[in-house]
Parts: sequence; C-alpha cells; structure tokens
Amino acid sequence: MILGSCVREKEVSELLRQGHWPHACTAELHAHVDGCRACRDLVLVAASFQKARAQAAGAAPLQSPGLLWWRAQLRRRNTAIERAARPLLGAQIFAFVVTLMAGAAILGWQVRQGFHFTTWLAELPRAIHLQALLTDLLPHLGGGLWLLVPALGALALVGTLAAFVASEKQ
Amino acid sequence: MRKPLPTPLESVLPILVAGDEPRVAQLPMDNDAFAGFYERSARFLWAYLARVSGDPALADDLMQESYVRFLCAARPESLASQGEVAGRKYLFRIGTNLLRDHWRRPQSASIEEIPEEFFAAAGDEGQSDSRAMLGPAMKLLRPRDRQLLWLVYAEGYSHREIAEITGLASASVRLLLFRARRKIAALLHAQATNQGRRP
Ligand SMILES: [Zn+2]
Repeated sequence: MILGSCVREKEVSELLRQGHWPHACTAELHAHVDGCRACRDLVLVAASFQKARAQAAGAAPLQSPGLLWWRAQLRRRNTAIERAARPLLGAQIFAFVVTLMAGAAILGWQVRQGFHFTTWLAELPRAIHLQALLTDLLPHLGGGLWLLVPALGALALVGTLAAFVASEKQ
Repeated sequence: MRKPLPTPLESVLPILVAGDEPRVAQLPMDNDAFAGFYERSARFLWAYLARVSGDPALADDLMQESYVRFLCAARPESLASQGEVAGRKYLFRIGTNLLRDHWRRPQSASIEEIPEEFFAAAGDEGQSDSRAMLGPAMKLLRPRDRQLLWLVYAEGYSHREIAEITGLASASVRLLLFRARRKIAALLHAQATNQGRRP
C-alpha cells in the first residue's frame, strides 16, 4: 500500500465505477469517506472527471464513419502496393550493380590484355566515321550545330524519364 | 440475384469494391459494423483527446487518424475473439501514442499556449459546485498526469489496463496516479477555497 492511501479506496472506487456512489452506499461508508482524506479526494476527483467526460462527449464533433472506413481501405491498399514494390526496386538495384561490376571486370581484363583506353578513345571518331557524318549533317542544320547538342541532351533526358515512369508503373 | 447499387463513394472508387480484392486490402470490420463501433466510441475518444491535449482542433485530427490506424492495424480475428471492449482499449492506445508523438514534436503547443476558455468551458454546467470544475486544475498538470487521471477516473480503466494503453509498468502507473491524484485534489480544493472567498 502506498503511504497516505486508504484500505477502503478499492471499495469506494468500485462503487464510483458502478455509479452506486453516493446513493447506494451504507451510512457507515459515508461516515468513513467524510472523515478520510484519501477517500474524500478520490470521490472529488472521480466526480470531476466523470462530469468533464459527459460534458466533453456531448460536445464531440462526429464525422462520417463511412469516410474514415474508405480512408483506411485506401491506406491499407497503398501499404500493400508499397510492400509489393519493395522487392522489385531491390531487383533493379541488384541488376544495376551486377552490370557495373561486369563492365568493370571486362575493362580490367582488356587492360591486362594490352588494351590502351586513351588510344582507343582518340581513335573512336575515326572508327565511327564521325567526320563524314558531320559533313553530311551540317548543311541540313543550316549552321545550327549548337541545336544538335541540347536536342540530343533532351532526348536522353526524355528517354531516362520514360524508363523511370515505366519502371514505377510496373 | 440482383447486385446492390453502388453508393456514391463506391462509384468514385470502383477498384476498391471489386470482389476479387487481395486479402491484404480487407479491413477488420465491414462498413456497417464500423459505423456502429464508431457511434459508440467516438464521443469518448474525442473527449479524452480534447481534454488531455486541451486542443479541440488537434483532437479532431487525432481522432480521425486513430480510427484509420485502428482499421488498418487491427486483425479481424482478434476483434472477433476479444470483442468491443478490447477494440476500444486498442483505440485508446492508438490515441495515447498519437498524443505522445504530438508532444514529442518540437513545434507542438505547450499547455501554457492553449486558450483558457477551452478548459474553463467545462465548468459551465457545474458552476454550482465549483470544486468539480476540472478545467483550470487540468491546465496545471503534466500531460502524462492528465492522461493517467483521465483513463482511470473518466474511463474507469484499471491500473493493468492503463499500463497496456500507455506502455508504462503497472507499478509506475500506480505510483504516478497516486501523486497525480493528490496534486489535482489539492488544486480542486484550492479552487473551491478561492471561489468561496470571492464576493
Ligand atoms: Zn478511506
């Protein structure tokens, strides 16, 4: 028992809970509560809270339960979709990492075989006949080569975006 | 057999009412059962949230969120086996956690910033017995004390049930409640003395 509490508090609490206080109690208990500080406090506090509960409950603004039910349905569904999409994202990341590692391994192997990356890069325009391609293309562009670079950039961006949206939809 | 006509909400969200919904999207109660549960419990949950937080607008938000979380998290079989009393206790637990999260956020209003009229409004009916005016005394208690006192004296939960709702140890609940009750009783007595002195 906590110091300052009373052995009859449990009895008084039970009567308060059942709504039997003060009318359905013995005169002896009434006399005890009048003379016992702990029980008097208990009765005062319980009465105050029960009154406050009744008043606040009467002022409660209720909403449409149907709307809450639908919101819950929607949230549960979204959670399920998110949960299902999680392994898919994991697989995408895994595939990307594997591709990177394979690329690095091939490059390393090529370098060990005597492959010179800088020489290969310098030779690249000639290998794909870039000079011929540009001479053919330039007259059609009307000297607007500066348009070609941003256009290619935009194309790359749109392509990336389309790929992203497609993967999100999946 | 004739198919029932869809309600306006069902026509807005047809995909949600399709018969072949995955099991994961099933809620623990159907719409009608939930409406009944809501009617019987919402006023008291709102009273708890509003009087403990001292903020009716916050209580509106937290009440909505409590029911949505309740429906999302509760398992149909546990509700069926344990009944509405357990459902209501679970609902108060969610509300209690939401209140705690709100108080933990740095931007949340402290009790000192809440308009006094809200607490004072509770005394409108009880002017004849000024000792029963809870509002001003509640304002002077710590949030956790208000929570514990409300759960035991307004809702009638036992110490063990309050431990389940709040996540505190049963022994701590007992001790905290003893102190909180002593404090609020002293405040109520002081309030009555002040009221008696006024002309
Ligand atoms: Zn006593």
